Amino acid sequence: MNPTDIIRAIQENIARVIKGKPQVIEMSLVALLARGHLLFEDVPGVGKTTLAHSLAKSLDCSFKRIQFTSDLLPSDIVGVSIFNRQKQAFEFMPGPIFANIVLADEINRTTPKTQSSLLEAMSEAQISFDNKTYPLNQPFMVIATQNPAEYHGTFPLPESQLDRFLMRLRIGYPSPEEEKKVLDRPQSLHPAEELRPLLATQDVLLLQEQVDRVLMEESITDYLLAIVQRTRQSDLLSLGVSTRGALALSRAAKALSLVRGRTYCLPDDIKELAPIVLSHRIMVARTCCVNLLPFFSECFATGRRA
Amino acid sequence: MPFDQALRFASIWLASTSFIGLTLGAGLPEWLAVLTGAALIAALLRNAGGKSVGRLATYTLMSTTGWNLLVIVGFLGFWVDMLWVSGELLPAGVHFLMVLMIIKLFNLKLRRDYLHLYAISLVAILASGSLTTDLWYLPIFLLYLFVGVWTLLLFQLTKHPEEPRILTMSVAMRPQPLASVSQVTPQFFWLANGLALATFGLTLVIFFTIPRVGAGFYQKGFGENIRTSGFSETVNLGEIGPIKRDPSVVMRVELSDGPPQEAGRLYLRGVAFDQYDGKAWTNRLNYRRAVSEDVAGTFVFRSSRSLATPRLGDTIRQNILLEPLDTPVLFAAPFIERVSGKFPSIQSDLTGSVYLPFPSSSRIEYSVLSRSNPVLPEDLGAEPSVYPESVIRHFLQIPSQPERIAVLAKEITHTQRTIYDKATAIHSFLTHNFRYSLDAPLTEQDQPLEEFLFTRKTGYCEHYATAMVIMLRTIGIPARLVTGFLATEWNEYGNYYVVRQQDAHAWVEVHLPHSGWITMDPTPPSIEGIGSGSPAWHALGRMLDTIRLQWGRFFVQYSAADQLAVVRELKAGSTSARNKAFDSMSTLFSPFMAMFGGMADYASKGTIQSLAEVLVPTLIGLAVLLWLGIRRPWVKGMISKKTTRDEQVIMQLYGRMIGHLARKGIAKLTAMPPLEFVRLTQERWSNAGSAVASITELYCRARFGQIPPTREELSLAENHLRDLMTLEKP
Repeated sequence: MNPTDIIRAIQENIARVIKGKPQVIEMSLVALLARGHLLFEDVPGVGKTTLAHSLAKSLDCSFKRIQFTSDLLPSDIVGVSIFNRQKQAFEFMPGPIFANIVLADEINRTTPKTQSSLLEAMSEAQISFDNKTYPLNQPFMVIATQNPAEYHGTFPLPESQLDRFLMRLRIGYPSPEEEKKVLDRPQSLHPAEELRPLLATQDVLLLQEQVDRVLMEESITDYLLAIVQRTRQSDLLSLGVSTRGALALSRAAKALSLVRGRTYCLPDDIKELAPIVLSHRIMVARTCCVNLLPFFSECFATGRRA
Repeated sequence: MPFDQALRFASIWLASTSFIGLTLGAGLPEWLAVLTGAALIAALLRNAGGKSVGRLATYTLMSTTGWNLLVIVGFLGFWVDMLWVSGELLPAGVHFLMVLMIIKLFNLKLRRDYLHLYAISLVAILASGSLTTDLWYLPIFLLYLFVGVWTLLLFQLTKHPEEPRILTMSVAMRPQPLASVSQVTPQFFWLANGLALATFGLTLVIFFTIPRVGAGFYQKGFGENIRTSGFSETVNLGEIGPIKRDPSVVMRVELSDGPPQEAGRLYLRGVAFDQYDGKAWTNRLNYRRAVSEDVAGTFVFRSSRSLATPRLGDTIRQNILLEPLDTPVLFAAPFIERVSGKFPSIQSDLTGSVYLPFPSSSRIEYSVLSRSNPVLPEDLGAEPSVYPESVIRHFLQIPSQPERIAVLAKEITHTQRTIYDKATAIHSFLTHNFRYSLDAPLTEQDQPLEEFLFTRKTGYCEHYATAMVIMLRTIGIPARLVTGFLATEWNEYGNYYVVRQQDAHAWVEVHLPHSGWITMDPTPPSIEGIGSGSPAWHALGRMLDTIRLQWGRFFVQYSAADQLAVVRELKAGSTSARNKAFDSMSTLFSPFMAMFGGMADYASKGTIQSLAEVLVPTLIGLAVLLWLGIRRPWVKGMISKKTTRDEQVIMQLYGRMIGHLARKGIAKLTAMPPLEFVRLTQERWSNAGSAVASITELYCRARFGQIPPTREELSLAENHLRDLMTLEKP
């Protein structure tokens, strides 16, 4: 059984629900295989939640959704201790974070305290509660969404937390033709409900192991490091890419190679992934919003010369 | 040869083997056999790398729907075939199987197609096994076994992941570099053949130990007996003639006392006749009575000799394997004393012929003790004396022949005085004055005997024998005609006579007053019967016949009873071996033995021990196999990787391509990674797109994936580049 074929099957499966967005589907699979978390930043109603739902449905994984609100408490995510009368002891009731895929909807609506409870889970894949640690399910993936248009009453995620997302994606509006297809669909059923799982949980872990075996040739590593180096030295940016960011780019590139059926990375992978993996890890020095793409092009050219 | 190519070859050979087996066994209709053969050859050629053939095949291929339709048509054809054309399930099924095989051969794409092909060929070889018991099945089956082991090994070793719809991943996936192909090494070769041999050995063991039912129920011609002539109640003169050219084997006679005497001839007596009406012989003494059974399976003839003379001739022990004939007569050398075989009962008539109750439909084996009847000295000097009434009544009958036969007989014998001398005189007269020929006129003559004696003077055994009998009778000597076989073909490899249809013979029995019936054969030795060809060729034929005989005896006819005998022998052997081992052990370990003696005694009494003797080696063998299967110590040595480094070449090619494209106005910027450049080229110069893409792919694999291109890929890339150079940019 070929990993490429499995991945293609999953992509086709999701594409039956999310019309006209193959790149976004591909990238969310890359994030999954790279053991990363996803941040969707887009206006409401373009299918962020549906995409997350479809991904979970295609994988035979447990899926929980947390709607983040300003009064959400950490215990609403992690779980609570409840006193058990029969046993005369406190018992831990796991929260919604104990699932394979967790959709954190409108993550910037909640307080930093609650946000940070998600933090440990995302980076360490475990939960500490009452001086005890509980390992989370594997695979574990957080798909968070936030609405860039409406900042009123929100708590923007701090840099440290943004850094824990492998990539930040935008979905964007579909083309009119694709949108028509969406409208033509029967509305009674949630489109993601009719998907059937294609991949068992342990097979997802196997695929994730596969990613580690993808070959990244030395010159490509150099290329990646040159790009990272460039962001740190640039005058345009006040904060460059961290080492964790470099690592994330490397992992994502390997995962993308696997998704595209290769056993080795290409410079194309790095170039394609750099904007979505790195852009939320840097801070632009001047607030007059800059289009970063020309900057990246410059970075790539530097890398190639190196 | 790379594994995947070897797999394709092996698979097609497997199909071919089963096809050959089925063609020989079932007698496929010619068009189907030719079609299947052509499909197999086409598949072989395609895999041999014939580019043009491959292309041709892909052009002629139909769509999947077309093939599916063909399968449905074939299935309908199967029903038509079964209900109207061949009318039976098995032939129709076999035909349908071949159609399926043809379709599969053109659709070998996925791994499950290969599995289907294996299943089809397995069913085919099984079908041919149930359709035949002939010797040729053995080499075909062996070949199938060898190719089968090869195919399955290769199938396991080329685990190409396909089948996109399967959900679980059972085997940890390793990225297999595309160009490093596993090769068939000598080790692999020997391992595969060794495994096949071991399998065959195991099969033999299973064959001889596991109870079985009969085989070959459906074989071609099963139940059709060989047609013979001359062994019924009535025999027309000239009836034996036409079969004298039929070489099919009727029986085989093994002689336990070594090669025969009497110039290598053995008479096998069948039926005797007493009445001649001028054209045909009949047996009036055909009242059959059951022969008493002495011991179980042994029948003794006490009265086969009319005289109670204690002085008897030499005994001949024969072991006869009689093919299914259309007559119930049991043949044996004259004169039968004792017959043993697996018969419920046997019968004999007054002329000493022996019959089964009904003709057997399968090959039967029986052994006979015969005693030849020599001429006693009393008869050599005796005057014509008194014959018993019963003999005179039956064996002096003469048809209303013209007087000239009687005159001729008297003329020949008037100088002789004794009965024996007279008989000998007629015998030598016939032997010397007449010509043996199979071209003699057959029946449809009013007076065949006169024709033979006075006009043509040419004939074969029946004419000679009839002439002698009638001439003897005209001068008052009782005689009768006997039909049977004259065995001349001695097989020195198996120590037996091969008796064929063409060995059918007729001769004379003369009654002497003291000796009783003695055998005389007036027919001169046949010259035509000896075929042409080199002696080496004949020796080979005899050798093959020996093998065929043993095949039939030990495999085809191998029955539960034989199995029991084998087990008994093994048990006896193992008991003696065990006793021997036990003795030597007991001298060594007598103190311990004293302690465990009681237990050992107890164990040897029961059947538990004999069971354990079988089980323990089996378990050990299985354990070894399992261990080998898990450890697979040979796998490392078997799969070698190809490490040719043609990276430099492909990089040069890529560089030349970039340079050429730059001259054409498509420059590669430094910030442009390879695939992006391919897209750019495709946008700007679509004709060049495919060539650029394929060269770039090879370059990327070599440069970033460290997978060197193969020779073929390199030459392909060079061709692409050459095409690119000649291409005009719009």
